Amino acid sequence: MSRLPLSLALLAAAGLLAMGVSLALGSVPLSAAELWAVFTGDGEPLHRTLVMELRLPRTLAAFATGALLAVAGALMQVLLRNPLADPYVLGISGGAAVGALLSMLAGLATALVSGAAFAGALLSTLLVFGLAHGTGSWSPVRLLLTGVVVAAGWGALISFILAVSPGAELPGMLYWLMGDLSHARNPVMGWGVLVLVLLIAWPLGRHLNVLARGSLQAAALGVSVRPLEWTVYLLAALLTATAVTLAGTVGFVGLIVPHMLRLVLGNDQRIILPAAALAGGILLTLADTLARTVIAPQQLPVGVITAMLGVPVFLYLLHRSR
Amino acid sequence: MNPTQHASLDTRQHPAPPLRRLARVLVLLCLAALPLQALGEIRVSDDTGRELVLAQPAQRVVSLSPHLTEILFHIGAGDRLVGTVSFSDHPEAAAELPVVGSAGQLDLERILSLRPDLVLAWQSGNPPRQVARLEALGIPVYRNEPRRLEDLARTLERLSLVTDRQAAGRDQAIALRAGVEALQTRYAERPPVRLFYQIWDQPLMTINDAHLIGEVIDLCGGVNVFGSETALAPRVSREAVLAANPEVIVAGGSGEDNHGWLEDWRRWQGLTAVQRENLFFIPPSLIQRHTPRILEGAELLCQHLDEARARRSEVSP
Repeated sequence: MSRLPLSLALLAAAGLLAMGVSLALGSVPLSAAELWAVFTGDGEPLHRTLVMELRLPRTLAAFATGALLAVAGALMQVLLRNPLADPYVLGISGGAAVGALLSMLAGLATALVSGAAFAGALLSTLLVFGLAHGTGSWSPVRLLLTGVVVAAGWGALISFILAVSPGAELPGMLYWLMGDLSHARNPVMGWGVLVLVLLIAWPLGRHLNVLARGSLQAAALGVSVRPLEWTVYLLAALLTATAVTLAGTVGFVGLIVPHMLRLVLGNDQRIILPAAALAGGILLTLADTLARTVIAPQQLPVGVITAMLGVPVFLYLLHRSR
Repeated sequence: MNPTQHASLDTRQHPAPPLRRLARVLVLLCLAALPLQALGEIRVSDDTGRELVLAQPAQRVVSLSPHLTEILFHIGAGDRLVGTVSFSDHPEAAAELPVVGSAGQLDLERILSLRPDLVLAWQSGNPPRQVARLEALGIPVYRNEPRRLEDLARTLERLSLVTDRQAAGRDQAIALRAGVEALQTRYAERPPVRLFYQIWDQPLMTINDAHLIGEVIDLCGGVNVFGSETALAPRVSREAVLAANPEVIVAGGSGEDNHGWLEDWRRWQGLTAVQRENLFFIPPSLIQRHTPRILEGAELLCQHLDEARARRSEVSP
């Protein structure tokens, strides 16, 4: 247990640093002194607008999104006992995307696009839940198959919407599908859901550790498997729906961050869950900073960067662990 | 709809004691000595019907579309531009301007750092949420969406008003309207020519009658075979083109090049357009961009349709 406080403290410090970097960098780079002046209230008005109106909400949203996705991924991998599981594997992102794209097609306002995405994610969650639950015989494989097929159905709908949409709407839709934080304005809901879910899931850590070894062992050790599994599923769905609502479908964070942490910290969910929140937040905050600046003034969708950063790091860790 | 400029001076005519009246006259004289533009409040409604109020003519303008950049240079207000988006390649001076992203994805930070007092947005080309964000940050936004040639003339007038180039804007608008009318008088009543207008290749895309190009086609006495489609820029199949069998195929291209789009149609020797060699290229910058240069594109199209009419007598028995 002594690794827990130390590694979490290190990650928290890195998280603060990442947020600081994200606030300082942009099309108008600010020095540490200028950034400090903004926060003490006597910075230049332009700098204040840049930091307080544009960068701070976006940085907080980026961190929350990364954290939500990484925790959701960690939970899904435990639930499905499948290393390839990510937050989107059960079709939640597809439902959200259909909701969001339909509302963009109808020309609705930003808030309504987010609302439609959230509604789509919940619809997909309930659909998969209902279908997998249907006849009573339930297993992770059945849940996974149901989710994958429902996701494929959403994918077809997404292609259909893209095909019939007017050209002017397409760039916005593609950016949404690739994951993009340029519209994220209010990260309060993201942080709220993150804290809530961590508070519920962390005490379950010991049970989750047992569940990760298989439902039979868990049942033999006195864990009530079915309620635990549904709790985990609903928590992961809530996390994913919130993340997708904030930033569209940012890929890769949910798959790779929990694996990285397991390779480094071991597979104890009591460490992995809070560590995933911090590491996911750090990865997405840094990725979004790069997305804003790397070929500025052109802006990249953040999903491109998460994969470009994540793939080599993950491959290195995997290689080293053998 | 008429844009008006008026001074917001207090000109009430109350009887007042002589001393106060004298004082008021003195104050008025002092104010009149200031440059008029310092007093003039500009009110203009944009293409979405929103009214824009500027305390003075815009000095630092950011354009969020290549066509708006071009129009600003056209009315002699290019010196007011402090930023534009990528692909703003005409006139050459536009290429020197700082770039604030692409029309489809804007760098809001860079726009703010240029401290604009007016942003010219392209309603159907810019992400509406990002434009709304700029407005929420206190920057006046003019939204432009020309759908007809008359809208284009009005854009010239309105943008000249907000940049204090009224004379140039009025002249350019008059020239544009006169050019359109000249083409109309000359070509509109000539025998109709059925044509297919290809604006993109993969997927195959055309335009309908509500599109600006649709109006140009009308002007030249052409009939768009897909004119009654509901989408502004419908995607159509090659089969539909073959079935419609247009007399003329006109294509734009990517950049200033046609990339063999027209050559591709020669595979179908049964097409009337192919048999009569009525395959014409019009540079997209001349007709697909909503600027006064559309007159040049319209002129080209009208001439091409006339060539097609001439070839009718060559082939008819």
